[in-house]
Amino acid sequence: MNTFWSLWVMFLVLLNAGITLFLFMWAQKVEIPVLEDGTTGHVWAHGVLREGVRKLPGWWALASAVFFVWGATYLILYPGFGSFKGLLGWSSHEQLAIEVAVNDANLAELTTRFASLSPEQLAVDPEALHLGERLFVDNCAACHQRNARGNPQLGAPNLVDADWIWGSDDASITMSILEGRQGIMPPLGSLGADKVTDLAHYVLSLSGAAHDQAKAAAGQPEFALCSACHGPTGEGNPIMGAPKLADSIWTWGGDLASIEHTITNGAHGVMPAWKSRLTEGDARVIIAWLRAQTHDRLARL
Amino acid sequence: MAKGYRYFEAVEKHAGKLGILTAIMVSIGGLAEITPLFVEAHTITATEGVKPYDPLRLAGKDIYVREGCYTCHTQMIRSLRAETQRYGAYSISSESVYDRPHQWGSKRTGPDLARIGGKYSDDWQRLHLLDPRAVVKASNMPGYPWLADEKIDSDDIVARMYALRKLGDPYTDADMAEAPAALEGKTAMDALVAYLQGLGLPPSGEATAP
Repeated sequence: MNTFWSLWVMFLVLLNAGITLFLFMWAQKVEIPVLEDGTTGHVWAHGVLREGVRKLPGWWALASAVFFVWGATYLILYPGFGSFKGLLGWSSHEQLAIEVAVNDANLAELTTRFASLSPEQLAVDPEALHLGERLFVDNCAACHQRNARGNPQLGAPNLVDADWIWGSDDASITMSILEGRQGIMPPLGSLGADKVTDLAHYVLSLSGAAHDQAKAAAGQPEFALCSACHGPTGEGNPIMGAPKLADSIWTWGGDLASIEHTITNGAHGVMPAWKSRLTEGDARVIIAWLRAQTHDRLARL
Repeated sequence: MAKGYRYFEAVEKHAGKLGILTAIMVSIGGLAEITPLFVEAHTITATEGVKPYDPLRLAGKDIYVREGCYTCHTQMIRSLRAETQRYGAYSISSESVYDRPHQWGSKRTGPDLARIGGKYSDDWQRLHLLDPRAVVKASNMPGYPWLADEKIDSDDIVARMYALRKLGDPYTDADMAEAPAALEGKTAMDALVAYLQGLGLPPSGEATAP
């Protein structure tokens, strides 16, 4: 704030305080002439309402005095009087920095403990699970769903099963979270609708799902294209993020129509990189929470 | 002090005088709090990395305003720990110099969007705008399916860029010339997704998601 506006604010603050203080001090002493009936003679509604005279109640006068003192003290201690920073030197940004530091210090013991344990060990730690769940809900649930079961419309995989597209070890999952992943399958619609259907039946046959055997046999030769990434038996390839096709877990939907759609149009799954929003320690407790959910789920099955 | 009483009487018995004096007293606060900020707002310059919206994002920003997104979403992260922890660094005024009008908002039914850019994929944003329940089951946000069928009128956007240049936004002639090609075949949905994916990007960075 430049000098002019600083003086402008100071002038208006003093003017406002001055007028109100003057009225407060002076108005209580003003003598009000009273008529014989005890009123001022001011009437409204043709004399139905008449104005009497009462002194300002003591509590009101006291409260006003307190407010004057409070306002002046505030402007001396805190910023508000033009560009004067206040004697305390308080600022909202510094306040935030202090609160963040206090919070970090409070969490230091936890984060140190978490750093020395693997996600598998943390999967039985209630504090790690609580933190991991909060972070998952805030950041991951939008695509992978609140229960981590995934969303085939986005190609967001189920995270509580045994199938990991980009690798199931802690290092791979941490990498997936912090650096993001992009799974790209090129469209094969140029094969023509019939061949796509045949191929889809063959893909269904890999996991032993219900399929038309004749069409699957006809589609088998086309699978050579797919095997470059998905492997000759559809076992998948975590290096390229090619999902396993030889099981009942599907990234983009496992019914015939969904598989045909994926083959025809290709697929482009995007896991954004989270390193600007989450730390490695955050990723660790998220993985711990996912491990715990997976164990729970498998135990129930 | 019977004399002093006459001044009170003069004010109390004349509604016009009472009204004028009340207005003067009330406006002192506004003159002190609003006028300096109002004038100083025009001297704020963009921080490094904050650029005028490219044509597609500009179109998206106007759709954001038209559809009233600001009635439920703020773009203002306050300097409070609960907010910086969830949404990222607090917002600063120089980040929104090219927002006319600014989209800070004051009501959150949905989350703050000041730094939503790159948080989710383009596909997520598109699916979410078509049908929010497809990605967030408990969402109470309305769907905006018509955006996918609405073509962007590039002449209209170029005209807006000229208007913004008159107001001081540093668009170059080359920007104007390239705009129609950048908007070719784009829908309102593409524009809004591009706008959202650009919100709050760090000065150095591009979107983390494509």
